[in-house]
Amino acid sequence: MMPSDESAAALQVADSKAAAPAMPQTVKVEKTIGLPAIGFCVTQGEAATTLFVGMSDFAVHRIDMAAEKIEAIPIGQERHNSYVTGLVRAGDKLVSGGYDGALIWWNMASGEVIRRVESAHSKWVRMLAVSPDASRVASVADDMTTRLWDASCGDLIATWNDYEIKTPHGFPSMLYAVTISRDGRWLATGDKTGIVLVRDLATGQIAARLETPIMYTWDPKARRHSIGGIRALAFSNDSAMLAVGGMGKVGNIDHLEGSSRVEVFRWQDNVRLYEIEDNKLKGLVEALHFGPGDAWLAAGGGDNSGFVTIYRMDDGKLAAQEKVGSHVHDFVFGTSPDTVYAISHNQAAIIKLT
Amino acid sequence: MASNISGLGPQENGLSRRRFLSAAAAGVTAGSVADMTAIHGLRSEAMASELKKQNKRVILLWLAGGASQFETWDPKPGAKTGGPFRAIPTNVTGIHISELLPELAQRMQHTAIIRSLNTKIADHGTGADLMECGRVPDPGVKYPDIGAVVARELGRLESKVPDYVSLYTSTEGRRKGTSGFLGARYSPMFLSESMTPANVVRPDIISEIDHHDRAALRDVLAKRFTTARRNQAVNSHMSAYQRVHGLMASADLFDIEREPESVRNRYGSSQFAQQCLIARRLVEADVPFVKVARAWWDSHGQNFETHQELCADLDHSMSVLLDDLAERGLLEHTLVITLGEFGRTPNINASLGRDHFASAWSCSLSGAGIRGGVAYGKTDDEGHRVVEGEASAGDLFATILAALGIDHQHEYMLGSRPIPLADFGTNPIREVLA
Repeated sequence: MMPSDESAAALQVADSKAAAPAMPQTVKVEKTIGLPAIGFCVTQGEAATTLFVGMSDFAVHRIDMAAEKIEAIPIGQERHNSYVTGLVRAGDKLVSGGYDGALIWWNMASGEVIRRVESAHSKWVRMLAVSPDASRVASVADDMTTRLWDASCGDLIATWNDYEIKTPHGFPSMLYAVTISRDGRWLATGDKTGIVLVRDLATGQIAARLETPIMYTWDPKARRHSIGGIRALAFSNDSAMLAVGGMGKVGNIDHLEGSSRVEVFRWQDNVRLYEIEDNKLKGLVEALHFGPGDAWLAAGGGDNSGFVTIYRMDDGKLAAQEKVGSHVHDFVFGTSPDTVYAISHNQAAIIKLT
Repeated sequence: MASNISGLGPQENGLSRRRFLSAAAAGVTAGSVADMTAIHGLRSEAMASELKKQNKRVILLWLAGGASQFETWDPKPGAKTGGPFRAIPTNVTGIHISELLPELAQRMQHTAIIRSLNTKIADHGTGADLMECGRVPDPGVKYPDIGAVVARELGRLESKVPDYVSLYTSTEGRRKGTSGFLGARYSPMFLSESMTPANVVRPDIISEIDHHDRAALRDVLAKRFTTARRNQAVNSHMSAYQRVHGLMASADLFDIEREPESVRNRYGSSQFAQQCLIARRLVEADVPFVKVARAWWDSHGQNFETHQELCADLDHSMSVLLDDLAERGLLEHTLVITLGEFGRTPNINASLGRDHFASAWSCSLSGAGIRGGVAYGKTDDEGHRVVEGEASAGDLFATILAALGIDHQHEYMLGSRPIPLADFGTNPIREVLA
């Protein structure tokens, strides 16, 4: 998913700074493409215009965004046994994770399955991240474990169990988000109750613990449950900042009616730089990416409809935003950060930042 | 409704008056005004007495807001509409339910699933009216809900405990329940602010000694009075006072601290689990009908997250409840129902939610009078419609009554108007009955 692609996206940023807007003033949906199912996660192939998308039809699809006729085509013959919710590229391989608890290593070119780890997690895999050198893949799941895998062969390297299995109110917790910093040193994870842990990827030692309790959205009286949680994480390109995405306080948790919420930390000092809430385009923030030079932060998400929003990182204010047809689950930058490929509910969108 | 009850015969009037007196006294405590307005049509008193002797009880687990049949009793893994969760086998060969209910899957021998409800109304208020009363609301008649009917049919006049208790402490979708034309005597004791009823607790300004002294003085005076005036009305009045004291004493039933720690731990710390424990204590003390409402399943957004949370609560709480009832020999006398106002749409909306849907959904019946290990009815491959065994709200109402040994065709006479317990033309689903 999006943080897992951060390394790839960041590399593109470095390669194409000249094409990137210093500070986007507008966000505009240029084109939408229908998808055969719900798209949950996206990563890119050798060409930034080649997308691989994990979907609700249990398959990983390939989409050539530069083609005259853009269509989603399942790779290979095999599928997960449930929604595909995590996807990264590690060199010439793809690694996918799903609600079936499985991880699958794919030959990116042929779609052939190289390795399938059926019980990678005992509950639903929520997200994957890949190290910049493509040697490690991290997975998080609702068994509340973070696991580190050898990206080349699929062997398990480490398991971390630092999160509570249950929420403070006694219900099953969920471990939604994971990302790895661009320098490959730090791994961050975020759970349903708003706890962020940053650990040293080499040693496994926890380096920081941050809290974003508002994102928990527990409703103690009217409905007695919660639907929030940390859904997105992104390190800045210099690894100094960590952006956390979710939803703010919500009056009616039957719907995603809470303000979209981003908190940005100077994480090594446990200093919250920005606490950003948007009441205009509401709902969950599902994906975050820093722009070139960390001047801005792009957020994607939504309620029943979707959004892409740009926040300035000099003051945390909104710079530009646009409504996208349906709830954005993930996005990546194109050949340069002036293009965003957003994956959403039965739809992909090409979005221009100017 | 009082205007609808003309034409009662002398015997019927006597019955009504007696019950009115009883209810009036109870009403003082309950803070309500009794208005006994309905009576039975023809039925053998011996039959009614035998029914009450069977000690049948009901615990209704009301899944307020509407739980998804896909994520509970009728999973469709792999279908476009099926969502992400697997179906898991149960301990009954051939029956699979959602993986979100793993504990209940191991207790399917107690449970019959009905997968073919087509109740048509997908609006919270009217849908709840329909499912609670078993018929479409009629502006001319205030129908009693299932709790009031069971309280009326299975409750005992001499009982010292409430006949109908409803626990609903969340605010969303809160519904008090209605005794309709049966009158306030069968209204629920409704707990909405805490798990202990406030209106049966002795006021602090009256000491325990004073309380007993007052009761003793009243007893002395009453006995002197009744010695000179022996008649049914006076006896009934005495009985009503005893009931008031019984209701006050029943406050202990709501105090789960009186349970061993091991039992409390077994149920767990969620409010729903604790209310299930209260429900067990109440049926054990012969309360005929207990409703435990769990909000709020109305998952227009993030249906799967919602069900991961709420199903875990339901799965554990109901499983412990079934075990506890079975171990105490109560399950064969207690019908445990899971039901809400409707199910959820096959289509998954852009918020990963499911919306209201009443055309093809599920409920479950466990325990008393039920043939366990049955999955009745069938929906199509994507869950859009019922293809086998279609059942209405009235059919379900009739089935519940039949499981309790109550004749669903028995009629209340509202004035000269006969009103069957279950709606005209409805039938119990025999396949799920023991």
